[in-house]
Amino acid sequence: MKKISLSIPKINDYTTDDFDVLFNLWNQVNNDNMDVTYEFSQCNFLRHNAVAFLGGLTRLIQARGGTVRFALGSIPIKVKDNLEQNGFISTLGFEGTPRTGNSIPYREDLHQDETVLVDYLKTKWLGRGWVHVSDRLRDKIVGRVWEIYANAFEHGKSPIGIFSCGQHYPRRHELKLTVVDFGVGIPSNVRIYARNQNISADKALQWAFKRGTTTKPNGTSRGMGLDLLKEFVKLNKGKLEVFSHEGYAIIDSEGERFMNRGTFFEGTLVNITFICDESYYHMASERVDEEPLF
Amino acid sequence: MKLSVYELVGENCLTMEDGQKIYDLIYPELQAGRTVELDFDKAKIFASPFFNFSIGRLLKDIKPEDLNRLFKVINLVPVGREVLKRVIENSKQYYSDENTRKALDDVLLEQGEDL
Repeated sequence: MKKISLSIPKINDYTTDDFDVLFNLWNQVNNDNMDVTYEFSQCNFLRHNAVAFLGGLTRLIQARGGTVRFALGSIPIKVKDNLEQNGFISTLGFEGTPRTGNSIPYREDLHQDETVLVDYLKTKWLGRGWVHVSDRLRDKIVGRVWEIYANAFEHGKSPIGIFSCGQHYPRRHELKLTVVDFGVGIPSNVRIYARNQNISADKALQWAFKRGTTTKPNGTSRGMGLDLLKEFVKLNKGKLEVFSHEGYAIIDSEGERFMNRGTFFEGTLVNITFICDESYYHMASERVDEEPLF
Repeated sequence: MKLSVYELVGENCLTMEDGQKIYDLIYPELQAGRTVELDFDKAKIFASPFFNFSIGRLLKDIKPEDLNRLFKVINLVPVGREVLKRVIENSKQYYSDENTRKALDDVLLEQGEDL
């Protein structure tokens, strides 16, 4: 078993460089039978994206016959407090009990359990009193975010499941959520579907975001989820970022950009930002629509 | 036939599995030319997989004009109607006829190659 000490630095989610830090960690342990110790002495904070990613990375190492240890003594008190609050430490089998605080719980989902996930989004992510949105807007946001989970479970092929964590940033009125899987990645699915291994990762992401495109037609029309989500994000001044392989998609009020980057991650990471203020949101009219449906 | 979505799947209309449950009940009725009223009272959260599998698929075998005549959706809040209309729009294009559907799949493949 190969021993490695993985130094976890402070990890933000401001720029793609912050995500590169995570993907470089994955690169260092992307082998079977690793004996990994997470060391935190250089880490003075970890954002939600890092929490979700490190949780998944831990399960990936374990699923490949490896071992993960936390150098608990190296974790700065503030970081440890946050990791205890959000349940990260206890979920992964180490000391500490989750508490109700300002953090949003870390989650691991091996299967798509609708009731549990909807409760998480409604009550633990959106419904903590920090987001001033009406019930109907809350339900709309949950429905749109569900599309991320539906895609991850259906297409991700992640043998270890889906990992999530959120965070509320009161000063910026932002609510964030990261959903990450360690499956095959969007470019891989698109290349298999198109029977063309030469499609670049950015073009594959661009294709996946087009209305009506899906790698799983199965005789049923599909491919609306990402389209609905991106439209909602664009209209409401939010931000949607997707990292898969070396591809990167960013969707915000300025539009959609797709690019290739230098860092590779085999799975898919989605980072979404919503503004916690109902005045930003455009809702469909309450007018009764009498037009024929079909 | 009248069906309550809430009684069948609860307030969350999200998954393919729940969509399939509804489809299995309404499709034979509509196919036989009988009317169906689908009541969304108390249903609150909506996503495309549910509508793709419950309603979008109906367009594969049943003409839009027949669906407009036989199938009625009631008490669906605007948030849900917005998703449903998008799904129907997409399904109509996809199922307009078998040749078009095949052609669209081919186009997708070509797009993949051209990208």
